[in-house]
Amino acid sequence: MSKIDSRAVDLVVIGGGPAGLAAAISAKKNGINDLVVVERNDWLGGILPQCIHDGFGLEIFKEHLTGPEYAQRYIDEAKELRIPCILNCMVLEISPQKQVFVASPEGLVCFNAKAVILSMGCRERTRGQICIPGTRPAGIYTAGVAQNLINLKNVMVGKNVVILGSGDIGLIMARRLTLEGAKVHAVVEILSHTNGLPRNLQQCLIDYGIPLMLSHTVTRIHGLNRVESVTISKVDENLKPIKGTQKTIECDTLLLSVGLIPENDLSTTCGVQLNPVTRGAIVNENLESSVPGVFACGNVLHVHDVVDFVTIESEQAGKSAAEYVLGKQKQLERINVQAGNGVCYVLPNSISKNSEIELLFRVLCPKEDASIGFFDGEKLVKTKKFRKVHPAQMIKVKLSKTETTDISELRVELLKK
Amino acid sequence: MKTEMICIGCPMGCYLTVECDGKTIKNVEGNRCKIGLDYAQKEIINPERTLTSTVKVKSGHLPLVSVRTNQPISKSRIFDVMELLAKVEVQAPVKIGDEIVPNIFDSGVSVVATKNISKKK
Amino acid sequence: MNRKSDVMIIGAGVIGCAIARELAKFNIKTVLLEKETDVACGVSKGNSGVLHTGLYYPKGSLKAKLCVEGRLMFPELAKQLDVPYSLCGKHVVARTEEELKELKDLKAVGEGNGVKGLTIVSGEELKKREPKMDGLYALHSPVAGIFPPYLFAIALAENALNNGVKVHVNTEVLGINQLNNHFEVTTNKGVFYTDIIVNSAGLYADKISSMVGLDNYMLYPCRGEYLILDKKCNGLINSMIYPVPPKVAGVLGVHLTPSPSGNILIGPSAEFINSREDTRTTKEKAQQLIEGAKDLMPSIPLNEIIYGFSAVRSKITPPEEKTSRDFIIQEDLENFINLIGMESPGLTSSPAIAKMVVGMIKQKMDLKPDHDFNPIRKRTIPFREVSRDEQAELIKKDSVYGEIVCRCEHVSKREVLDALNNPISDKTLAAVKYRTRAGMGRCHGGFCLPRIVELLKEEYGLSAKEIKLKSLDSTMFIGKTKDLRADKKDE
Repeated sequence: MSKIDSRAVDLVVIGGGPAGLAAAISAKKNGINDLVVVERNDWLGGILPQCIHDGFGLEIFKEHLTGPEYAQRYIDEAKELRIPCILNCMVLEISPQKQVFVASPEGLVCFNAKAVILSMGCRERTRGQICIPGTRPAGIYTAGVAQNLINLKNVMVGKNVVILGSGDIGLIMARRLTLEGAKVHAVVEILSHTNGLPRNLQQCLIDYGIPLMLSHTVTRIHGLNRVESVTISKVDENLKPIKGTQKTIECDTLLLSVGLIPENDLSTTCGVQLNPVTRGAIVNENLESSVPGVFACGNVLHVHDVVDFVTIESEQAGKSAAEYVLGKQKQLERINVQAGNGVCYVLPNSISKNSEIELLFRVLCPKEDASIGFFDGEKLVKTKKFRKVHPAQMIKVKLSKTETTDISELRVELLKK
Repeated sequence: MKTEMICIGCPMGCYLTVECDGKTIKNVEGNRCKIGLDYAQKEIINPERTLTSTVKVKSGHLPLVSVRTNQPISKSRIFDVMELLAKVEVQAPVKIGDEIVPNIFDSGVSVVATKNISKKK
Repeated sequence: MNRKSDVMIIGAGVIGCAIARELAKFNIKTVLLEKETDVACGVSKGNSGVLHTGLYYPKGSLKAKLCVEGRLMFPELAKQLDVPYSLCGKHVVARTEEELKELKDLKAVGEGNGVKGLTIVSGEELKKREPKMDGLYALHSPVAGIFPPYLFAIALAENALNNGVKVHVNTEVLGINQLNNHFEVTTNKGVFYTDIIVNSAGLYADKISSMVGLDNYMLYPCRGEYLILDKKCNGLINSMIYPVPPKVAGVLGVHLTPSPSGNILIGPSAEFINSREDTRTTKEKAQQLIEGAKDLMPSIPLNEIIYGFSAVRSKITPPEEKTSRDFIIQEDLENFINLIGMESPGLTSSPAIAKMVVGMIKQKMDLKPDHDFNPIRKRTIPFREVSRDEQAELIKKDSVYGEIVCRCEHVSKREVLDALNNPISDKTLAAVKYRTRAGMGRCHGGFCLPRIVELLKEEYGLSAKEIKLKSLDSTMFIGKTKDLRADKKDE
């Protein structure tokens, strides 16, 4: 007799962070009662409880909330709606038949789900993946791990810090470490511009006199047991280190903020097709993946900058999952959506004809006075102008019903002039 | 005198160029809305920031509770506030909004909790 | 602590641990000293983890003899000690007709050393077995295998300990005084006394040897770097893939090694360096490894590299010499057995080396068998290695198995606790990593590090400053979150 506890359930939501919570709440509100949220930490809210800085909730609540406060709004709502959330458990596998295997101290459960929402968030790119040469001492942390350790586990990672990567996480941690008494010697950025929000440049670096070294990278780590210093080099337009520009910065800690990768290990176990650019699932406007009944939202779909948009996207996923389970899904003719010149990626990857759709996309390079063109083959069907576009900021454009009626495919491009 | 600054009022982050004569603003360029004007004004006269940090918790399910100033405080006092918060320890349970340090340095601004901490089992 | 022993083994790499385990079969007092915080911290940790066939070594050499013997002993040992391995075999690939000659030479050497089952296959046959590989011919050795070398050393040491061998980590030998009929060994943990010394100190064997006046040995540190591919690359190759060996003494060339965990190793490089402590990775060698890998398998997915590491070989062959030297296993001084230059195939040979050294000791003292010797040692069952039904059973019997601490490698809290409770090493992150694989996955501790830190604090009462990565000086944290402000106040 198998000791695996098999349970039938309408919907399993994987991950109880902002995406999972919003999706579950939305699914419940749209008619699904038989659902469960599974979460690997012993708290709900995902990454938000460690994001103690503010700037969350501007879109949805019109307030400047901290991460934990934003999370609590949804944790409270999920509780009010009596949505079952299992903490401290780990999803091991999702079969193509939507069997979700979950391990916890209570036992091994197999949820036979009608629908699954993937909301596992993302992981950080590591030192090993970017192959920084040098020693492998203590004192090298990815920014998110350092944030967890300092804000949740009550340990301080170091005293003299160099940060590689000027995305928002790197900038936020530069300030956090400085506030707690560490010295941040520099934030080093390989590109010629920062990917973080300009206001974070002001309130995290300029405010504290922390130098930002653009077009530089860390080329070597020193120190056998603990970091002792790092070597920084200038890079050329191909991002390759320029000989003779090396500088050594003495430090005991190197923080890495070098990119987030959607955590789709589980998605591949159930056969979900991934987009190699976003590293998230290929989805239609219902946020349904290539596997019917499996939906994706939040950072696991594509890396967001603003949690409010995660919530909005996830509410859509929850609604779509509910429609799927209740048999209310509309089957419409589909149009493929592609990223063209100058555009990094577009979501969703396919849309229904004759429907109002919101497209999300990111450009490859920053540009002022930019025009985005929407093409059906060679035909330009729509143009939208922007004062400023930046890869760090996700752009949203609505397409009306009429705009999606007579086209057979869609390509989003950054127009040259 | 011309000063460059980045407005932190919203995620737009406009780059401002502010022309001033001492503490009097003559001209602001680069802002897209009124928030930028207000920000520039404040920055020249008395720059303020919202401070977020953590404070030690006794007998809580977590060792730290995240906190914030409930209004922006003078930028010049940020490190004084951090020094003070390093010595504070609150007793669990804590609720969002609980005043951890009321009226810090007589500024009228309080440091409040931003997370719920229950008593350790 | 009883500081007297019959035999003292200096250096707990895989060879030292194998000797300790072999000596544990006898009713004598054996002590194993190790200067690091755990066994297998040097060469035994950083290598390809290969059970070698015995192709490369001249007939009659110790390397040839002990490699073949060791390989034949391994499966039984691995079963007794619960060490995972796979006899996946090996293909040495020839890309030119000239290289075919070399394959034939290798085959002849192997057969001369007693190896069975070697065949040369055609390029088409290679393609059938290894769809990603192109070659004209390949020499196939069905007997070669792969296993985690550190797990083997740990298992040997634990079994030795369970059978009465004393294992002391963090104990560095500083000086050896030869008295009338025994040795007085000064360490950083005080003085030990022993009748016989076995010097298996690997990279530092020459230093230990010179402590008794045998300072004629010279070690040439030669660093080898590796790159590791994500375990999702499992299946790209089914066997080990080697090029025909380049013309550098004792160096096998950049090869591709699968592993029981699914990761693929690219490497190693070979670079003579100045300092034996210099275990860094370099941009130049990483580039060389990438080129070597692409050369061997053009479709290799280099974007799936998750880590790079290196270790230093202790070679007794100077860089100018083109042919490798043999193992030195000899009693250079009465009751002092030197093991010098134990490079590849040291790992494969270790069980046979142990038997040989014990044979030498038998000549000098009466080794009565210990009838209570228990050859069996079991590791904690890794959660990820059993079926879903078995996983459910494990959790029902022991709920701690149900808490998964490492997401990437599905390591349970049970395995982590048992690793931290191991009877030999300090409670370090490395001790957990090498025993359980927690932290070896693609996120490299992104999820599990804070969990393990919390465990160390809550369950073991370690303070922030006491948490180490691997060595005593590899402090992870400077204290608690507010400590820097507290320190500033005191200044």
